[in-house]
Amino acid sequence: MSGVLDLSWWQLGFALLLVGVVVVISLRQALGLERDLAIGALRTIVQLYLVGLILAAVFSAARWYWVLLILAVMAAIATHAAVSRLAKPIPGVYWIAATALTISTAATLAYVIGIVVQPRPWWEPQYVIPIAGMILGNSMTSAALAGDRLQADLFTRRDEVETRLALGFSGREAVQPLVRAALRAAMIPTVNGMMTVGVVQLPGMMTGQILAGASPLTAIRYQIVVVFMLAVATALGSLLFVRLAVGRYLTPAHQLRRYLL
Amino acid sequence: MGAVKQNEATYNPAGATGVPDAIFQVQHLSLAYPGRRGQPPATILGDVSVDVERGGALTLVGPSGSGKSSLLRCLNRLEEPTAGTVRFDGRPITELDPRELRRRAALVQQTAVLFEGTVRDNLLVRSPGVAFDFSELRLRDMLAEVGLEPSMVDRDAATLSGGEKQRVTIARALLRDPQALLLDEPTSALDPPNAALVVETVSRLRQSRRLSIVAVTHSPELVHRLGGALLYLVRGHAEAYERLDDGAHRVTDPRLKAFLAGDLPLSPSA
Repeated sequence: MSGVLDLSWWQLGFALLLVGVVVVISLRQALGLERDLAIGALRTIVQLYLVGLILAAVFSAARWYWVLLILAVMAAIATHAAVSRLAKPIPGVYWIAATALTISTAATLAYVIGIVVQPRPWWEPQYVIPIAGMILGNSMTSAALAGDRLQADLFTRRDEVETRLALGFSGREAVQPLVRAALRAAMIPTVNGMMTVGVVQLPGMMTGQILAGASPLTAIRYQIVVVFMLAVATALGSLLFVRLAVGRYLTPAHQLRRYLL
Repeated sequence: MGAVKQNEATYNPAGATGVPDAIFQVQHLSLAYPGRRGQPPATILGDVSVDVERGGALTLVGPSGSGKSSLLRCLNRLEEPTAGTVRFDGRPITELDPRELRRRAALVQQTAVLFEGTVRDNLLVRSPGVAFDFSELRLRDMLAEVGLEPSMVDRDAATLSGGEKQRVTIARALLRDPQALLLDEPTSALDPPNAALVVETVSRLRQSRRLSIVAVTHSPELVHRLGGALLYLVRGHAEAYERLDDGAHRVTDPRLKAFLAGDLPLSPSA
């Protein structure tokens, strides 16, 4: 096994022809997607090229603080993405999402890097950045899924919540079934994914490692770590987000803030 | 609104308050929701004062959106007023544990909410932190008291009719020995026969248990059966207050007269 084949510019040009096929389909079927396809293709090239340049610079600079800075920027973008998926604003939601994503990612990353993978030095960007990216992406998706479900349920089940309050339940007790439903909604895709991993399609990271010349047996070991790591990232991200967010809908006097729904 | 008040209003805060033995004393109550995205706050209630006599009844009437339900929800503190005070049994409700207040002033909502399980499960539903238990006899007696078959205790709650569900929620509230019952349009989701049964149940309870009752309703029938006093709200403001104890014929406000005669739904222009 040798290293990965480098792709030249003209090879990328051939790949771009694939987008041309999609444009033709869009034109023939009157899908009206040509403009978005062109912009999307351009953004793919520019964004990934910029990321490549930044990562190359960070890899060669080899300083822990550059790695942390990259992680902070990634967390900020993930926070914004998670928040923008919510149907209605929640007061203080940026702070909530940032806290949930930072804590869930930091805890998961610390365990995976410090105890499972153990790269030397600990901040080795080649390991830390892609692993942190996967954790953050899953935390973000699960926080957004859980938040979306919680918001929808608080609205449709508000009478049920207030019935419990009227029967002397505390605010937290009254929303507990809704919190549970939101967490299940966020975690079920991950749990289901564990059932079919590798059988239906090879996970992206494993594919990448195999393409880069790693032995499939090495690649699956990493993939096993990744699956378990993403399960905990999903659970922690949604749990922290929902616990913090539901507090915004309750008052110390065990009231539901209906005007936020 | 000011013009309406001068012409027709029969609301005099001094007449609506100062009841000798009051279970609820509502003073200068206002409620506003914060505005969204630069919008001004939405006023729900503006400077409402009214007392409810211990063992008495107060019905809240008015067009939809007039703040009747919000006023009711201020009484057991499901809503937090922006200004003013509510006293329950002599004490400001902000000094009470809201959970204890809600046990003593039990709310029955417009749409009965029953949880998964049997009628028994629903009667016994309680906060995980609270330890209480009721004997089987007590549960059956309670069902009988609201006019249901005691054997219904084992029925799946999902199989009950609307009127049965509503009476189970009343039984659930009564099990906790409340001093006051707050009813939010208890009959509006029911068909006439079921509504009549609920009206009958509530008015009987008022007498048999000396329960204080505050009810939001569009039903003249319920108002007649409960008696007590009548507060008419429009856009969050009290427009009229009448006592029915001396008979509905003594009501002077023309809009309330028409409402009690079953003539028209109350609307701002009525």
